[in-house]
Amino acid sequence: MQAIDDYITNLRHLPPAPRVVPELMRLLNQPDVESSKVVKMISFDPALTANVLRICNSAYFGSASPTSDLQEAVTRLGFQQVYQLVAAATGARMLSPAQIGYGLEQGELWKHSVAAAVAAQIIARKTGDNENIVFTAALLHDIGKIVLSQSLNGVYSKLIKETEMNQLSILEAEKKILGVNHAEVGGQLLERWKFPPNIVSAVWFHHTPKGAGAHQRLASLVYLGNMIAFFMGHGYGHVAFALRGRVEVLTTLGIEAEAIPQFMIETFEQMHLVEALFALGG
Amino acid sequence: MVTEDRTEATANLMVGIADMAVSHDPNVVLSTYPLGACLGIAIYDPVAKVGGLLHSLLPASSIDPKRAADRPGMFLDTGLAAMICRAQDQGAKVENLRVFVAGGAQIMDEASPFNIGMRNYEVLTELLAKLNVKIYAEDVGGRTNRTMRLSLADGEVRLKFSGQARLIALCKPSTIT
Repeated sequence: MQAIDDYITNLRHLPPAPRVVPELMRLLNQPDVESSKVVKMISFDPALTANVLRICNSAYFGSASPTSDLQEAVTRLGFQQVYQLVAAATGARMLSPAQIGYGLEQGELWKHSVAAAVAAQIIARKTGDNENIVFTAALLHDIGKIVLSQSLNGVYSKLIKETEMNQLSILEAEKKILGVNHAEVGGQLLERWKFPPNIVSAVWFHHTPKGAGAHQRLASLVYLGNMIAFFMGHGYGHVAFALRGRVEVLTTLGIEAEAIPQFMIETFEQMHLVEALFALGG
Repeated sequence: MVTEDRTEATANLMVGIADMAVSHDPNVVLSTYPLGACLGIAIYDPVAKVGGLLHSLLPASSIDPKRAADRPGMFLDTGLAAMICRAQDQGAKVENLRVFVAGGAQIMDEASPFNIGMRNYEVLTELLAKLNVKIYAEDVGGRTNRTMRLSLADGEVRLKFSGQARLIALCKPSTIT
């Protein structure tokens, strides 16, 4: 735990804590939430406000008369949609930069994260799990990579060697070389940022869902969403596919393996819309 | 979706996931990205100088026949048939075709049901056997996703591996005899 903490504390360019997302999550979990509270929370962040307005006025939502009123935008879009836009806009800020240590170019970690979030949400819809929580956990599952990338920069030839010569997964190679892995660092970072324990746990155990205890189901959804993102090609960087198969997630979620291709098709179609919305392109 | 980026000398056509393109324009370069467990299949007839590029997500259209009708490139069986048909319309002959294959990346546990890449490759080899067409060169499996490019001028196929900067020519012969 100390080692993980050191990595986070010593990081030079850690993004500011995304305060709005965990607070908004808590708010939306309350029954009968008032829209004025949601509006107030978003309005503290000018960039988020601008994003919500821009997206509300985009052709995708087909609004006839553009609005510059955040309250109006929240009413038009609905809480669930607003929540996801806020989570995605926040994720875009943190996850867009290149992560050289992992061989990830500008925008690639973001695109991977969105694909995983979209896929996990599609699965959650089928399994009847809370879509907002699943979407957020999957969106942030690789947040630990923004911490470890700087440390891996310059030693990634070692990382590749460990995966190729010793048949280690990326996670195991990170642990061997750095003493920590991106999943536990991500979990710890989200804990610091006051995300709820289920999100923290799902991110911490997104490669090893069995370890998530009470949150094994959520961790399994994130694991499967992450896998589908890889299958679709949204898994970038050096030896990105050096991952362990955790077949038990299918049992945990009550899903047949045959359902995976259908999830891939739906993710592909949903990604088309998301790409148009956030101009993810290329 | 196929998008065009034309400069004076060449036109780069991007072939999206679950899509395909065929051309006989020697100034065209067809590219597709990103190939994860999906397969990229390039065909080229060096006599007619006609070629095509397909980016298939899944092996068989029986998974979802309705979507296959709307978007044949999504599946290998419908995509390959449609691409070859279009190439023939532009003068290519099946017996002349060079077939290049890339993609099908694998996670570490190769026996698991998560092995979409392997299944894609198996189905492709069956489809090609039925057509009596051999793979000219391939780079499949592995742990990285790929970008694939086909130059219509000379039929050269080049690959870029994610996390690496340079393009390499795909000339590795197939392991299938």
